[in-house]
Amino acid sequence: MIGAWSPGQWALRVTMVLGVLVALASTTLVGVVPDWWLVLVVTGLALGFASSPESHAGAVAMAFVVVWWGVSLRDGLHPEALLAAAGLLASHVAGLLAAYGPDELSVDAATVRRWVFRGLASFLLAPAVWLVAVLLRDRPEAPGVWVAGLTVALIATVAASMAFTAQEPT
Amino acid sequence: MTHWHTTAALSRALAIGSLGLAVAVLSGEPVLVVLTAPFLVFAALGLLHRPTTEPRFTTQLDHAVLHEGQGTRSRLSVDDLSEVEQVTRLAASVPHVAMHPADGRICRLIGPDGTLPVVEVSPRRWGRRNLGEENIALTSRWAGYRLGPTTLIGHQLQVLPVRAPFDSRAEAPQPIGLVGAHRSRRLGDGTEFAAIRPFQAGDRLRRINWRVSLRSQSLHVVTSRGEEDTGVLVVVDALADHGRSGGVDGTASSLDVTVRAAAALAEHHVRRGDRVALRVVGAGWESVGYGAGQRHLRMILGRLALLHVGEPRGFSADHLQFGATAGTVVIVLSPMLSDAMATATATLLRRGLPVLVIDTLPPDAAPAVVEGTDPRVADVAWRMRRLERDQVLARLSALGCPVVVWRGPGTLDDVLRRLARRAQLPQVSAR
Repeated sequence: MIGAWSPGQWALRVTMVLGVLVALASTTLVGVVPDWWLVLVVTGLALGFASSPESHAGAVAMAFVVVWWGVSLRDGLHPEALLAAAGLLASHVAGLLAAYGPDELSVDAATVRRWVFRGLASFLLAPAVWLVAVLLRDRPEAPGVWVAGLTVALIATVAASMAFTAQEPT
Repeated sequence: MTHWHTTAALSRALAIGSLGLAVAVLSGEPVLVVLTAPFLVFAALGLLHRPTTEPRFTTQLDHAVLHEGQGTRSRLSVDDLSEVEQVTRLAASVPHVAMHPADGRICRLIGPDGTLPVVEVSPRRWGRRNLGEENIALTSRWAGYRLGPTTLIGHQLQVLPVRAPFDSRAEAPQPIGLVGAHRSRRLGDGTEFAAIRPFQAGDRLRRINWRVSLRSQSLHVVTSRGEEDTGVLVVVDALADHGRSGGVDGTASSLDVTVRAAAALAEHHVRRGDRVALRVVGAGWESVGYGAGQRHLRMILGRLALLHVGEPRGFSADHLQFGATAGTVVIVLSPMLSDAMATATATLLRRGLPVLVIDTLPPDAAPAVVEGTDPRVADVAWRMRRLERDQVLARLSALGCPVVVWRGPGTLDDVLRRLARRAQLPQVSAR
């Protein structure tokens, strides 16, 4: 069915694969190279995700990347994490767009514009969290800070959702 | 109608967002929250916009009856769009129906004024066209939930033959009617000069020719020919379809030529005020009686569009009773590959009716052969069949039946004039 993909679908599928791989490989910029078997597994899952955007392969591939970031870098609040977040988000948005219909479906430019806008707006949360985490890193950990942080994050998410819903471009 | 269900995107956003948060809390690594925070936004917004109602949707065509090559729109109507953000329509392709987008697949956001994506449909060949099934899916805001895909049964289009350009200035050979545009052999109140004769009681005074009357010392009047309508019987051979049909823009099969020519002839004669009838020789035996006017024309075009191709059971020339009355012009549209049609045409000729045959067999027509047949054998058989057909056409010509190939405007002018001249001669008709 690959032969039936339109140029737009090709772009989406390539983004789905590259987004996950960029997120995985961005630890290399910090000096931690992912194991070859991990690259192989994530690549396979990303390819499966690209060929079937509605499958769970994408979620599993992204989970591998997230866990890899957690285990490979201790106290890894590197700015490269933002690149990884962007890669994961791009892959997710591309998968969402590709799942709107069958493989042969041409991609609607207005839909892509709307989701790019949404993706960029959502991505702003990543540097915000990163900045807060960097500022609080050297301070002693107060009891319940994670719970408070989580609550604040959820409230911010709900507030942002209201704002996005009201200001969505048409 | 299916129900709303979560999309893969929402499941993925929930899974990655939750995983990131959980591992971050457990391991004390805030970087995982950085990675997965945007996913939480997607998940939260997707969940927040969970639809509460299940909209019902249908599709409808702007027009149910079209001519070949014309287009209409298949519109989607949804009773409640308040929770729907995007629509995907996947219409199946069917032969002889062009669509825009070409593959019938369209994915669009719902417009700010609630406009839904439209699929444009254009039938390329006459007949009854069943549009294919259509799968429709609606997606909620932030792509959290999807309704469908739901399969809707395609609509049916009645496709009338295209109005091929046709015009003829020739008169009908034997007009026998009341009021029309054809010059009759009988004298009447027409405008065509017939003769000058002595005045008789009952003649109108305005008909007196004073110049001749003064010269001859007795009153003379100008007589004119009556103008009458004629009956036209269009006989359509739908026993088989020979050749390949490429639709209104492509190559024409024998039935394409037949049906389009019949439509053009019917329209032309109806426009001139003649009474037109239709007889289809085929599996459906469709027929329309004599009549005139636009409504009658629409009826003829409708029957042509819905004719059934095929040979009826036990078909023979004895079954062909056309009911052609005296003075009716019979136009037989046929590839003349059926002996019964040739016999019926010859019978009409012997009755003294003006009959003309329009040969509708495409020059490049090839037979449909059973799989496994030696192509050389099929080719030889087809050539023999065409030779036999040529003989039949030659015999019909020898009987006085003009055979012409349909070429649009002016196809019948010459033959109708010849038939009109011949009609002036005394004839012996057999019944």
